[in-house]
Amino acid sequence: MACTHDHSCEDHDCSSNWSLYKHIDLSKVTALNEANPGSVKSVFKAWEERLNSTGEHLESNEGDPELLVYIPFTSDVKIKSISIVGGADGTSPSKLRVFINREGIDFSDAQSMQPVQEWDLVENLHGVLEYQTRYSKFQSVANITLHFPESFGGDTTQIHYIGFKGEATQLKRDVVATIVYEITPNPSDHKTRAETGGGLSHVE
Amino acid sequence: MVLEATMICIDNSEWMRNGDYAPSRFQAQADAVNLICGAKTQSNPENTVGVLTMAGKGVRVLVTPTSDLGKILACMHGLEIGGEMNLAAGIQVAQLALKHRQNKKQQQRIIVFAGSPVMHDKKALEVIGKKLKKNSVALDIVNFGEDDEGKTEKLEALLAAVNNNDTSHIVHVPAGPNALSDVLISTPIFTGDGEGGSGFAASAAAAAAGGVSGFEFGVDPNLDPELALALRVSMEEERARQEAAAKKAAEEASEQDATMTEHASEGPSGADNKKNEIPDDDNTLLQQALAMSVDEPASTQDLQDTEMSDAAAEDPDLALALQLSVQESTKDSSSEADMSKLLADQSFVSSILASLPGVDPNDPSVKEMLASMQNQSESQQKQDEDKAPEKKEEKEEKEEK
Repeated sequence: MACTHDHSCEDHDCSSNWSLYKHIDLSKVTALNEANPGSVKSVFKAWEERLNSTGEHLESNEGDPELLVYIPFTSDVKIKSISIVGGADGTSPSKLRVFINREGIDFSDAQSMQPVQEWDLVENLHGVLEYQTRYSKFQSVANITLHFPESFGGDTTQIHYIGFKGEATQLKRDVVATIVYEITPNPSDHKTRAETGGGLSHVE
Repeated sequence: MVLEATMICIDNSEWMRNGDYAPSRFQAQADAVNLICGAKTQSNPENTVGVLTMAGKGVRVLVTPTSDLGKILACMHGLEIGGEMNLAAGIQVAQLALKHRQNKKQQQRIIVFAGSPVMHDKKALEVIGKKLKKNSVALDIVNFGEDDEGKTEKLEALLAAVNNNDTSHIVHVPAGPNALSDVLISTPIFTGDGEGGSGFAASAAAAAAGGVSGFEFGVDPNLDPELALALRVSMEEERARQEAAAKKAAEEASEQDATMTEHASEGPSGADNKKNEIPDDDNTLLQQALAMSVDEPASTQDLQDTEMSDAAAEDPDLALALQLSVQESTKDSSSEADMSKLLADQSFVSSILASLPGVDPNDPSVKEMLASMQNQSESQQKQDEDKAPEKKEEKEEKEEK
């Protein structure tokens, strides 16, 4: 597998570094201003597949190159760097702004809020460039929102691959998943120790 | 079952006073809004609906998206008609209200009732539409009321700009005999993008399609819910009694009993029961047929009771009379014993006597008469009516006096 780094690939396995895609909760990935609903899921794949353009890719609507991608992870991750493969003929995104752990961001929010970090991108058709993050700010990322405000002059923005390099912790964000709602309390569920017998505590 | 937050934009401009939609455009619109709210909240309990008005002094949000149906219905009261509709501002405020919904997982939808002429030009509407599409907000447009040049064209252009994968729809409702809400029920605005429709929509459509006759008992539950309720309850009770009769008759009846008693004990709840009641009628007819073929006397009596109870439900006085007659008929056919029993009942007789003019029950002579009557009651095995022995007493009394 040709990996156009300045080193030989036998020393480390490039693809395993970019394996954070396995920790993406694909069913909950959404994008705003995408031309084909659901096509955003196709850009998260193994690093080897990043140049594989036979499948779907993410494209914005005609005449509007702005894109917003919301990516939740299945557990908190630490992101070291991000790689983006865009389209040809100026349809690659030129800027990237990211927001961490914020849900429900839409375009007006994205345009007004201060991003955690932003980069000026280059046309990266072979996926060899990676954009490093300020690691200290990306220590426990439960979800990340990528905002691509403009492209390199093209009518639309195309994205073929988004990759994350980093580590996955096994921690999950606090989600109160199992709550039992009681409309009327059932006394049998709330037996105190006094009722079950043994009001006095005994010392062993 | 899509999880959705919906904002409904109501047109309360001067054009809504027109009566070409019965009873008035505004009232037809309000009915449609109520129906939509019900359908949305029923299809998914976590759906929220909000309402805003577009005309009047300005765009005003009456209710922010909530799943509380009562709040929504309450805010529809006391709305004033006036001013001009501002479609662009209305849609933009709706979008803002949806943006601040509490549950970000809900899909965003705006439903617009466009009854008055549209002042904005096509370009402006298209820009708004594109913005909605960009933020993945779906838009449903109900085009009714005024139909001036270009309005339909503008609204179609707006829809084309918003539409993303057929999630947005436009419905043109011309003025006519059908109510606005009836027309809307069959549209994708109600059936939710062809998911198959909620039970609410389907049963309401079935009822509406049949017209007045489609409603069970010939009474619109919306117009007179208590009467419809009373009729339905009496029907259920009657069915329960028929089951009991049919139970004795055949094995098959006892099988159906399980399903029937379930329905009977459910009690009246909502429009959903209408769907159940259609197969129930088949069941009851079958049971009646079975019962009639096997157990003639009991069933014929029940059939008569059916007719009577239907009539009875409409007139409470009649019901009381029928109850008395039913009580009597269920006793032995030999009514002579009844007569004598009645006569033997002293309180009953004295009450009858008291109602007769010129008779004082405390009169010792009358009391003597009563005592002698009781002794004679067994020997008096006549088929006279109640009044006959009383007339005798009267005569005897008069003779005595």
